[in-house]
Amino acid sequence: MSKIIDIKKAVEQIQNNSTIGFGGNTLNRAPMSFVREIVRQQKRNLHVIKTAGGMDVDMLSLGGCATSVDAGFVSYETKYGLANNYRKAVQEGRIKANEHACYTVISALRAASIGVSFMPVKGLVGSDLIEANDYFKEVVCPFTQNRYTTVKAIEPDVCVIHVQECDKHGNAKILGAKYDDVLMSRASKKVIIVTEQLVLENKFKNDPTQVDIPQLLVDEIVVSPQGAFPNACYKKYGVNDSNMKSYLNIRNLDDLTKYLKALEIRDYAGMRR
Amino acid sequence: MFTKADYMTVAISRMLVDNETVFHGVSSPIPMCAINLARKTHAKNLIYVNIPGGVNGNMPKYERTSTAGSDLLEGANSYFPLSEVFDLSMRGKLDVAFLSGIQFDNKGNVNASVIGDYKKPKVRLPGGAGSAVLIPTAKKPIIWRTKHDKRTFVEKCDFITTKGNLHAIVTPLCIFKMKNGEIYLDKLMPDVTLEDVLKNTGFMVKYEKVEHMEEPTKEEIRWLNMIDPSRVREMEFS
Repeated sequence: MSKIIDIKKAVEQIQNNSTIGFGGNTLNRAPMSFVREIVRQQKRNLHVIKTAGGMDVDMLSLGGCATSVDAGFVSYETKYGLANNYRKAVQEGRIKANEHACYTVISALRAASIGVSFMPVKGLVGSDLIEANDYFKEVVCPFTQNRYTTVKAIEPDVCVIHVQECDKHGNAKILGAKYDDVLMSRASKKVIIVTEQLVLENKFKNDPTQVDIPQLLVDEIVVSPQGAFPNACYKKYGVNDSNMKSYLNIRNLDDLTKYLKALEIRDYAGMRR
Repeated sequence: MFTKADYMTVAISRMLVDNETVFHGVSSPIPMCAINLARKTHAKNLIYVNIPGGVNGNMPKYERTSTAGSDLLEGANSYFPLSEVFDLSMRGKLDVAFLSGIQFDNKGNVNASVIGDYKKPKVRLPGGAGSAVLIPTAKKPIIWRTKHDKRTFVEKCDFITTKGNLHAIVTPLCIFKMKNGEIYLDKLMPDVTLEDVLKNTGFMVKYEKVEHMEEPTKEEIRWLNMIDPSRVREMEFS
């Protein structure tokens, strides 16, 4: 059975209340076409996992799709300012911000990836984050009696990772920085690859080590050319400044709906193959 | 004439010692420029690491939207991504990490999380990113912040994202350092008076002597303009 599925169907299968991890980092290679479709389909109560989020987390906040966000950092970078829709949702109590250090998200995913329920984190000392959150607890090492902070495992129900190349079996290759995507693919119950293009299966055969996420981990493949737009996708396109600015001017759901409508042709382009 | 960003970049560059391993993260134009300036001037053997994982890559020349993009892999000689940089720091082998925040107090506490209550914040901030694990573990954590006022340098932080172990705090007005668990004024920026620092700092500023940072040298400015011709370093002031 083919793993290739169109973007609408892939999003339809995302359950409300599920824990969903996104690949990429800040404005780089976030699966934005998938995020936009989540907002169009009005998914609710999603628990979002990301080391450093940006437009993805902000748009899900504005769209009313997320109720908690586990992340080390949520903001645009210097040029585009703060993630104001996310901030507002947290300040108004609509989203629970589970602040991590980026490293504790990584550690929590590492725990899930090796099938254990927590992970010691050496560096997290003296922070109010430990007391303020129920996912940090202290343990005593049974060998040395040293005390360590631990973080509870995070096992996303599904993760969505945007890549430049994937074959029809789900062998996926990330060009440039991989961020925490490879780890996330090992930690999640279900893996959805969103790819700029489908490549021939022979492509990786002369050097299989270039595959970052092998087919045995991948459940579904969505073809979405320019799917990270208006974020950057290395070797393909940079940040689209004018679209970023038009999004950042959005103040309400009506304008968001118009913005999403205007991007439908682009987001559904992969369905017309 | 030099700008505030020039002073901060040069001040930070001078703190870096040859052969150190140096990391910056997201939203970090000034540290990115400072590291690359140091690599051209007094610290040619720095080991420069970043989120995308490019070790000793080139300084990108165009206008930047991210200091975590794959363009930092260009010209790099190896790949060592963020998760590994964290691991390195946990093992005690990361020398310098650049971090920031929104509130700082005289005990070296750093708040990058919330204004008000954590669970019901008046203002939700972006979060400390790597701070909470890097400040306790890196050998020389350096804070930079382009705002220096009484809302930033406060009597007491609303929330402690992380604390202690700060090598320096660099602002447009001065360089603070830490001794015996307390922040003190180390140097004023060249165009700043002691009075400027005192009236813009919410805690009592301790100091032993009043010194100014030395003006950027011709060589520093020549290299700075060469590596950063589009003045990415000014972005944090706009």
